[in-house]
Amino acid sequence: MTPRLRRLALLGVAAVFGVAASAPKEPLPPYSGAYEPQTVDERGLWMQLDEAERTLRDSAFVLKEPGLTDYVRAVLCRTVGADRCRGIRIYVMRDPEFNARMAPNGMMVVNSGLLIRVHDEAELAAVLGHEFAHFEQRHSLHRFQHDRSMTDVVAWMSVIAASGASYQVRRSAVDVANSAVGSMFAFGRDEEREADLLGAKYMLAAGYDPNALPDIWNRAMDEADATAFGRKQKSHRYDRLSFFASHPTSLERATYLRTLVAGMGQGDAGRDALQGAVKPLRGAFLADQIKLNDFGGTEYLFGQLAGDTWDAELLCARGDLYRTRGNPRDLVSAAGFYAQAIALDPTNADAYRGLGLAQLRGGDSHGGDALKRYLALRPDAPDRAMIQTLLP
Amino acid sequence: MRHTLFAAVAVLCLLASSTAVAQEKSGNKPGFTLRPGSAKILLIRPTIRVGAQSTGGLFEPNADWTAQARDNLGAALAVAQQQLGNQVIDAEEPIGPAAKTFAGYRALFSVLADSVIEYQFFPGNRLPTKKRKGSFEWTMGPGVAEIGRGTGCDYALFIFDEDQYGSTGRKVFQVFAAMASVSVKSGEHRGYAGLVDLRNGDLVWLNADQAMGGDVRTVEGAQKRVRQLLEDFPGSTPPAAPVVASATGQ
Repeated sequence: MTPRLRRLALLGVAAVFGVAASAPKEPLPPYSGAYEPQTVDERGLWMQLDEAERTLRDSAFVLKEPGLTDYVRAVLCRTVGADRCRGIRIYVMRDPEFNARMAPNGMMVVNSGLLIRVHDEAELAAVLGHEFAHFEQRHSLHRFQHDRSMTDVVAWMSVIAASGASYQVRRSAVDVANSAVGSMFAFGRDEEREADLLGAKYMLAAGYDPNALPDIWNRAMDEADATAFGRKQKSHRYDRLSFFASHPTSLERATYLRTLVAGMGQGDAGRDALQGAVKPLRGAFLADQIKLNDFGGTEYLFGQLAGDTWDAELLCARGDLYRTRGNPRDLVSAAGFYAQAIALDPTNADAYRGLGLAQLRGGDSHGGDALKRYLALRPDAPDRAMIQTLLP
Repeated sequence: MRHTLFAAVAVLCLLASSTAVAQEKSGNKPGFTLRPGSAKILLIRPTIRVGAQSTGGLFEPNADWTAQARDNLGAALAVAQQQLGNQVIDAEEPIGPAAKTFAGYRALFSVLADSVIEYQFFPGNRLPTKKRKGSFEWTMGPGVAEIGRGTGCDYALFIFDEDQYGSTGRKVFQVFAAMASVSVKSGEHRGYAGLVDLRNGDLVWLNADQAMGGDVRTVEGAQKRVRQLLEDFPGSTPPAAPVVASATGQ
């Protein structure tokens, strides 16, 4: 198909389906008090998500600890402003994946995997601001409408391609269908860029440290590299966009955000505030991360969390990571980490448990002593019966 | 060129999303009977999704149609059960820790129903443990009694309904596709209803239909749909007493 023909075909498609793409302008922002969805599409979408939220609200995976949820809400409110955040429902989800999402009806879901990956409150604010921007700009609705138009195009073009039309026509139909598929993913990436920029505006206006914006994506790349290396896979390339990518590459995001904040100086990072809020649940979140069976990525993450100083909880989690992989050399390393944890905190029952199990598995009978110490430190241990079977 | 055409046809097949039609539609726990006029049934908030199907096959949720369907199906169900002599009580939304239990069992039932449809109703795909003739052994476990506590109900009724009405564009597309010898399905109407014994958690009856009739957006259509959903409901004897003779049968 010549470029001219292709352009003509695309123009024709645009003329037929352009009507759906140019929806009327929405009257109110969706966060305004008791906003009611307006069009048929928006009302349908909200209805579906209201039902989903009824289920999610009572899910066993949503953390019921009010402290952490209140903290996330406070960060969101500082970022986007009190009147914007008022109607938002926040659910902190026990899910080790690095993610947060916001639904078109004002339901925000924050994964525990995000909370252990952000270094400080400014980084959390950057992610929450980004998600809120998706909501404010009604991105889900627009993407749904765009996808609908494009799947219509693909459907029609596929029928033409399967018909008895001439080779030229069928060839053009396949090209148009391919462009339409590509356009669905490109549309999503454009929305991500838009949300990045609007989210950045919010968190900068709130006085947070500008450098938090690109830093997240730099570390995301490093962690992905560590995961790939640990799994003996080729690392992803960040300079090239895949046809089906839903987001811009982390490198692209880091680059344009770094450019955006260049010369802005320092802002409020809020490292202690974030660490303090996450602290009571961090042990559980770390345990979820270990179960992902991602040795390389987890080792990188723990190193990032530790910085210069490893605390007893982190050392213990690192011991669990090595003990779970379970090579003979890993058991030696694990025992070392547990011993360091015990040196820092002699009342850490979990460290004694891990030490005992690692030593016994490695054929060291001293493990029994550590397990006895564990049971003494935690008389109501839920695994008491199982541990006792390992003792002489 | 040939393989790109092939790919296009493959995409089209995906869009047409033809679901494998289950060969059996309902199952009963062997030996289970429900004496007419005896049961108090707890109706768990039905999962209902009604909308249109776009030309390309996307589901377009519609809030008004869903609300109409919820009202119409609820009314038709009450009438149908009244004629069987059963009492249907709408389950309240629980608060506090009970909400988590309730949500858990609601999620469990949808997994259970999907498993029965996938591994029992379709004979070619039957699990080895489900192959014995006449067997229908599925349970949610006795813990499910928790959701009926304080209601005095003996059974819980779960209902799922999804309707996608083919849009005008989809119908036009279907005609043109047929001219190119491509079969395209317009619309999707599926649902299931299941009854769980709250004393032991056993699934005593499940009826699933991948292609149902009756327009749930209208009162009459919803009655027809409920008739199909409650086909073979324990205690109903189809030849002697049609489940719904008329909506105004009082």
